[in-house]
Amino acid sequence: MKGHQIQSKIISMEVEVLDAVRQRTLDQFTEGPSVKESRLFFLLLPFFDGKNWSPEIESSAKTVSIVYAALHAHDQVREDVPIIKEQQLTVLAGDLYSGIYYQMLVNSKNIAMVQQLATAIIQVSEKKTSFFEDAIRSIEEVEEAITVIETELLLSFYKFYDFSEYTPLAKQTLLYLRYTDELKHLQSKNYTHFLRELNSNLVHEIYTEHWLLEKLDSLHRQILVSIGDCSLDHELAQFLLHQITPHQHRAEQLTREG
Amino acid sequence: MEKMKLKLLYSDLRPELEMIEKELEQAVDSQSLLLNDASLHLLQAGGKRIRPVFVLLAGKFGNYNIDVMKRVAVPLELIHMASLVHDDVIDDSEIRRGQPTVKAQWNNSVAMYTGDFILARALEQITEIESPRVHEILSKTLIEVCRGEIIQIKDKYKLDQNLRDYFRRIKRKTALLISSSCELGALVSGTDEKTAAHLRRFGYFIGMSFQIIDDILDFTSTDEELGKPAGSDFIQGNITLPILCARKDPEIYTMLKANLNRDLSNEERLTVVRTIRNSSAIEEAKAMSERYLEKALRELSFLPKGQAVKTMRKIAFFIGKRNF
Repeated sequence: MKGHQIQSKIISMEVEVLDAVRQRTLDQFTEGPSVKESRLFFLLLPFFDGKNWSPEIESSAKTVSIVYAALHAHDQVREDVPIIKEQQLTVLAGDLYSGIYYQMLVNSKNIAMVQQLATAIIQVSEKKTSFFEDAIRSIEEVEEAITVIETELLLSFYKFYDFSEYTPLAKQTLLYLRYTDELKHLQSKNYTHFLRELNSNLVHEIYTEHWLLEKLDSLHRQILVSIGDCSLDHELAQFLLHQITPHQHRAEQLTREG
Repeated sequence: MEKMKLKLLYSDLRPELEMIEKELEQAVDSQSLLLNDASLHLLQAGGKRIRPVFVLLAGKFGNYNIDVMKRVAVPLELIHMASLVHDDVIDDSEIRRGQPTVKAQWNNSVAMYTGDFILARALEQITEIESPRVHEILSKTLIEVCRGEIIQIKDKYKLDQNLRDYFRRIKRKTALLISSSCELGALVSGTDEKTAAHLRRFGYFIGMSFQIIDDILDFTSTDEELGKPAGSDFIQGNITLPILCARKDPEIYTMLKANLNRDLSNEERLTVVRTIRNSSAIEEAKAMSERYLEKALRELSFLPKGQAVKTMRKIAFFIGKRNF
């Protein structure tokens, strides 16, 4: 499959997901649903890679994307007092998207997938809440939490449809992308809960930055190996490397160093 | 006290409700200590458990098996709890049922994740039921409830909205979930369609009456009775039936308009509350609630006589007459 065909399929999926959750008031007052191209790529990866693909699987892939949007909406709720209209509607956007994913799967008579996703949401919610707990935890535990948050929904989709061969690649890439974002946040002094916990674990943010850069290097190497393990065709591998993981951290590091 | 009275009305369901209570506790059990605490905090703040009660009562018209009924009753209460914890973020509420809300005790993010967790637990449990009809009804209800809340926010501070807007809103906000509780209870116990339809309509009418009374009580009860400041609906810009009835008086309309969407001192808030309380709006709103109550009772008259109808009738009367 050519790069432009991959891109076109991702865009068409994005449009369908946005159409499924469209609501006039929410469109007017909120940022709208977050549908990330990287997640869509991995949801569609088995299709791109020529695996058995059916309308049911495609519909399930869309619902996973909607669940990501639902949970993402709730991540956007801030602690402002008093809460403003946009924030109130963001809460409801997340709830509405949850109802929509449930209804879509019910309509395609895929109740087992509702259960699978519900279990994944429970795990994601537990890990998200862990960033608000007082308990001191190791970096490995923090890393495990962020991995579940980023990947559990997608991995439950793979597991359900027996696409688990893509699990390592998806896990590494989604984590790579998260760490790339976290690095940008760190460099702009916009501390997320994850960064705060890393900073307190590693004592100083300079070590946090090193830790992130090392992780990115290591993940990048792993991604290259996993691409080989999955035997992705050249175009697909190139698309993944150039569109999804364009090595931003290295470029930034080189600029800073000279 | 009133909650105790209500619970007495369905005391014949006590063993089943105790079982449901334990199931609810198990359902919110989590590996995360914080989620555990937040969910239990919510659960232990209590509640009328009106949705599980209606599921169980509706089940009495079919092949009642508590092991089947609880698989609907527990998720429906969980769905209600999840919506409450998110509503408290939306309404910026510090207190619910006299207890600090999850958002007040912890923060908005914890409240969001607690709600997501509880809703997911509900779906995880209810998907053990294979009936597509059950899921069609429930998923549609979830969406409609959200749409109702979205409209409520859109309509905030709009004093000039019409009655139809209000009724459409409370239908989605409250009546649908109670209506679905009755219908789903009927469906999983295998009642015939006609009985299920009467129960659904009963739930709908009683839900409408219940919400109207709730909106009245926001003006007629004390802060202590409500567990939050009286007049909270008005302060938050929710234009409820008593306000819509009271605004017909030009003087009251002007006063409401002047006080809407601004920070009110305690004295100003109490003045608004007293004005509505002393107007004819309360009686007018009560009459509308009464009409829904009558419709609910009429639906019961089509059902086979027995203990379940008696209890439903008692609950209906209680809802119509409750003081807070």
